[in-house]
Amino acid sequence: MRRSVFIAGLAAALVMGMGIFGTGRKGSVTRAQQNTSTMEVKIDNFSFGPVALTVPVGTTVTWTNRDDIPHNTVSTDDPKIFKSKVLDTDEKFSFTFNKPGTYPYFCSIHPKMTGKIIVQ
Amino acid sequence: MIAAFLETAAPRGANVVLVLEMAMGIGLLLGAWLARKGRFRQHAWCQSTIVLLNFAVVAVMMVPSFRVHVLPRIPAKLGKAYYALATTHGALGTVTELAGLYILLSAGTKVLPEKLRITKYKVWMRSVLALWWVVLLLGMATYTRWYVPHLFRK
Repeated sequence: MRRSVFIAGLAAALVMGMGIFGTGRKGSVTRAQQNTSTMEVKIDNFSFGPVALTVPVGTTVTWTNRDDIPHNTVSTDDPKIFKSKVLDTDEKFSFTFNKPGTYPYFCSIHPKMTGKIIVQ
Repeated sequence: MIAAFLETAAPRGANVVLVLEMAMGIGLLLGAWLARKGRFRQHAWCQSTIVLLNFAVVAVMMVPSFRVHVLPRIPAKLGKAYYALATTHGALGTVTELAGLYILLSAGTKVLPEKLRITKYKVWMRSVLALWWVVLLLGMATYTRWYVPHLFRK
C-alpha cells in the first residue's frame, strides 16, 4: 500500500515536473521566435503587405509571393541595394538589412506596387 | 482609355506597346481597304510600314520581356494562364510577323528568287491579316491577365 502510494506520488511529481519543464521549453521557443531576426512581407493581390515594415538592424526580410501571378521586388535606390529574380507563386526572396535607413522598393513588373523597409 | 490605364498595374512601356499594337491592327484594316479601293501604292506603303514597325516593337519591347518573365518557366508552367497566353501570343505572333515579312519581301522587292515568291497574293494577305488580329486579341488577353488586377482577384 505504502509502496503504491509512493509510486503514485512519484508519477504525479514526474507529470507535474514535465508540465513545468514543458511550459518552460515552450516559453523559450516563443522567446527564440521573437528573437529571430527574420520578418516576412507577403505579396498578394498586387500589393506588398505590410506596405511599410519597421525592423531592427541585422534583420532578414523575406518576401513571399502569395499571388497567382509573378512579381519581383527591386530596391528603388540607385545603385540598387537589392533585386530579386521574378518570383512565381510561393517563391521567396530574402535580404538582410545591416544598415539603418529607409529602403523603398517596388515590383518592376507592376511598378505601381510599392513598399518600404524602415531599418532602425 | 487613359482612365482605364490608370487602373491597371502595367508599366508605361506595356501601355505604349498596347496602344501601338491596337493602332497597327486598325492600320492594317485601313491598308486592306486601300487595296479594295485599288490604291495599291498607298496599300503597300501602309502595310509595309506596319509590318516593319511591329518588328521593331517586338524586338525592342516584347522579346526582352518574354525572355525574363516567361521563357525560364516554360514548359513547366504552361498550365497557368499567365504563361500559356503569353506563349501562345508569342508563338503565333512570330509566325504572323514572319509571314508579313515574307509578303513584304515577295511583293515589294526582288530579293527573293522567282520560285520563292508568292503567286496567290490575296489568299496570303487575307490569311495574315486574320492571323494578325487573332494575335492582337491574344496580346490584349495577355495584357489583361498580367496587368489588370480586379478582373481576376479573389
